[in-house]
Amino acid sequence: MTLLGSIVMSLGIALSVLSAFGVWRFPTAIARMHAATKSASLGLALVVLGAGVASSSPGIVGIGVLTTALLFLTAPISGHLLGRASYLTGSERYRFDALAGVEAAPLELEPSGETDFSFTRWLGLIAVWALLWRDVSIGTILGGGAVALAIEWTRRSVASPRPVRLGALARFAMYYLAALIRTNARVAWEVATPLQDEIDEAIVGIPLSVESPQAALLVANAVTFTPGTLAIELSGDPLMLYAHVLHFEGEAPLRSEINRLESLADAVFARR
Amino acid sequence: MDTFVTVGQIALGLGALFAVARAVKGPAIVDRIVAVDLILLLLAAGAGAEAARSGSEVYSAIAIVVALITFAGTVLVARFVEWRDVE
Repeated sequence: MTLLGSIVMSLGIALSVLSAFGVWRFPTAIARMHAATKSASLGLALVVLGAGVASSSPGIVGIGVLTTALLFLTAPISGHLLGRASYLTGSERYRFDALAGVEAAPLELEPSGETDFSFTRWLGLIAVWALLWRDVSIGTILGGGAVALAIEWTRRSVASPRPVRLGALARFAMYYLAALIRTNARVAWEVATPLQDEIDEAIVGIPLSVESPQAALLVANAVTFTPGTLAIELSGDPLMLYAHVLHFEGEAPLRSEINRLESLADAVFARR
Repeated sequence: MDTFVTVGQIALGLGALFAVARAVKGPAIVDRIVAVDLILLLLAAGAGAEAARSGSEVYSAIAIVVALITFAGTVLVARFVEWRDVE
């Protein structure tokens, strides 16, 4: 176990260091973001998971899994926000820029319903809290109860929720994982070789035909972890996804990639 | 394991120097945010590696807390930069 953990940790450390080297070496701000968002998050995830395996301590494995899940939720968001801030404030001019002169409209979310309080969900949240503290006592139950109440209070339910299909979600996650590995291999390769001279950046806009904003969100996050692309802007009416591509070869490759992601994401949310 | 983790942490520290250089050089504020973001993620990775050596969960907890604070900070500053320069 120690050997396996050490190998995973070495991979993670190598990816992290390569990502830092990429941030130094890549020529433009958004290209540097490709290195930072994609490699650093997987690098950190591998280090914490590897540490769990190497020490064979269930606590460290548990926190490692939690860290990994949170990293893959947060990395596309910070990549997207930084990319957009950089695009809007930067003076970079692209050979091909689909977003130039476009006023992005905010994506209309589905109308939210009344806050519904569910007692079972509240108990579940308290159980999660107790699990995080690994302690069941008056203190953790009271504290968990207060936090769970605050969460239930602030959350807004969607007026007509779409049930999530777990099988389809697992298929999406598998595809996401494969894309993640491919994209990291590609970034590592580009950082380590003098390929960045061939960087030919562009902003590509692809119309989305997904059925719900939730699916559009999944697609946008997955595009950030697709080799060579970083989601910059998601605009509603018409639903368009704008992405920064590192090596521009026309819209066709990204379009087919997104079509595949769309069908995977649409399958996750059941039709009403 | 001891030497392995030490070597790994030194590698992470040396890697962080690239990010520090980028944070100093910039040129845009977004470049500096990306660089500082990355320095903190490398710090989190160093703490995560320490958990393997000591077997203590505290270091894993440090890693996850640093990673989440980094995320919150990045989002906040990115939104601020956009708001300041665009509106």
